[in-house]
Amino acid sequence: MHRSTLLPAALSRRRFIVRAGGMGMAGLFGTSTWDAMASTFVDLPFAIGHRELATNFPQKGAMILQRTRPPLLETPFDVFDQGVFTPNDRFYVRWHLANIPVFVDPAAFRINIHGHVRRPVSLTLHDLAREFKSLEIAAVNQCSGNSRGFFKPRVVGGEWANGAMGNALWKGVSLKDVLDRAGVKAGALQVRFNGLDTGVIPQTPDFMKSLGIDHARNGEVMIAYAMNGAPLPLLNGFPVRLVVPGWYATYWVKMLNDIEVLDTPDDNFWTRKAYLIPDTPFASIEPGQRDVKMIPINRMLPRSFFTNIKDEAVLKIGQTTTVRGIAFGGDAGVAKVFFSADAGGRWEEARLGPDHGKYSFRRWEVPLRLTSPGPYLFKVKAQNTAGTVQPDRANWNGAGFMRNVIESISVRAA
Amino acid sequence: MEVKLRKVALISTVPVLLLIALSARLAIHPGQTWTPVRVELPVSETAFPSGRGVEITPQCLICHSAGMVLRQPPLTREEWAGEINKMRNVFGAPLPADQVDALAGYLYGINGRQDTSRPTATDGQGS
Repeated sequence: MHRSTLLPAALSRRRFIVRAGGMGMAGLFGTSTWDAMASTFVDLPFAIGHRELATNFPQKGAMILQRTRPPLLETPFDVFDQGVFTPNDRFYVRWHLANIPVFVDPAAFRINIHGHVRRPVSLTLHDLAREFKSLEIAAVNQCSGNSRGFFKPRVVGGEWANGAMGNALWKGVSLKDVLDRAGVKAGALQVRFNGLDTGVIPQTPDFMKSLGIDHARNGEVMIAYAMNGAPLPLLNGFPVRLVVPGWYATYWVKMLNDIEVLDTPDDNFWTRKAYLIPDTPFASIEPGQRDVKMIPINRMLPRSFFTNIKDEAVLKIGQTTTVRGIAFGGDAGVAKVFFSADAGGRWEEARLGPDHGKYSFRRWEVPLRLTSPGPYLFKVKAQNTAGTVQPDRANWNGAGFMRNVIESISVRAA
Repeated sequence: MEVKLRKVALISTVPVLLLIALSARLAIHPGQTWTPVRVELPVSETAFPSGRGVEITPQCLICHSAGMVLRQPPLTREEWAGEINKMRNVFGAPLPADQVDALAGYLYGINGRQDTSRPTATDGQGS
């Protein structure tokens, strides 16, 4: 019915199916056949945005290659039109340190809980699954630097477009229950998380992150052993990762094998000196501004996106089109999504899809019929249940974190 | 016609859904076996372009592939030096201090920011 507007997404989906079919052949005939087929590229909409669409990463379909080693793989945006849950084989990937285990034996894997506790505990995966109550939470995992490539002026780092995020149904156990097993002692301040990955050289600080003790024990922070009903892909943290609903992904430590309760503030590099944001609304400052208090990045902000219409799309005059996309509220649920066909002059409330919980992506859609020809600037903005609305002006900081400006696309009616 | 199509779709998706449900059970339920996972990570074939100072760049490749560097926005020579020093001071890159300037010159040569009217935009965090 709305074929004209859906065509770009449908086409790219077909391309993906063809490519996924080819992957099976690679298994049969060896990787060289597949590599020869895999030279597809995408141009992200900013300078130096030319990227390979890589298909040679394990347990992954076509992904935008941001870095081979350690892997930074972005989800092609078309994937977000296919549903509110991001398939595991298209879920973005982000590692800091290149020494990543390529073999994980679940039988030998242990999670050690130690530090400021009454009795240090070492748990197998079976212990986790058998001895603790399981819980499921749909939650968005978003890189702190998602959309960094759109920063003006540009900043260094992973030059992502908008696909360094994904939504999954996480299943696992509550971190609180695991900490209770070890018995947190009075005076505990923070809980520090470490995974199996390390730097290539011993001088590189091991990647660790900490949460405040109350946050760690809020019952929602979890140790996840399943993602969308299947084991995690290795590059997403197999066999278990931390899930911190509503907070940026830097805290969602992958291949989590060490949990240390601290009674003094964590002074490791990644907690104290990295992933810091200006303590200002939307973490925004002026370029060059230095006199600002910096704090650890924390709660996510609301965002919303178009998924079935791309920038520079052409819509047919007089035809009704469903404009749709996804939204999330950050650390609160999506209250409302607003759409504007006239650059923000008039806003219309979108219809929201099923609610999978306050930390999940949520579908929005608006039926639209354009009656006069010409250019249009479409905008979409989300308001979360805490009342926070996406800003009109792009937030900016020197690390390229937390972009959540109202999204705009240019469309022509003809 | 429409009804028929829907039936076909249902028939084909049911076994897939069952399979997904079964594999999830195998992985996460008590008494079931977790399957070991072994993967192979691709090796980057991207090389730094030729230029004066390129002989220093193998030092960069100890910890990361070249592509990420080549995808950065243009930086001034001082900004490149800042990035190099971050790699040395924070991440322990074994690059001698007397090679920083030559490497910054090389990176500026392949991807330099000519417009120096605005202040430096990057805050030098390790992330």
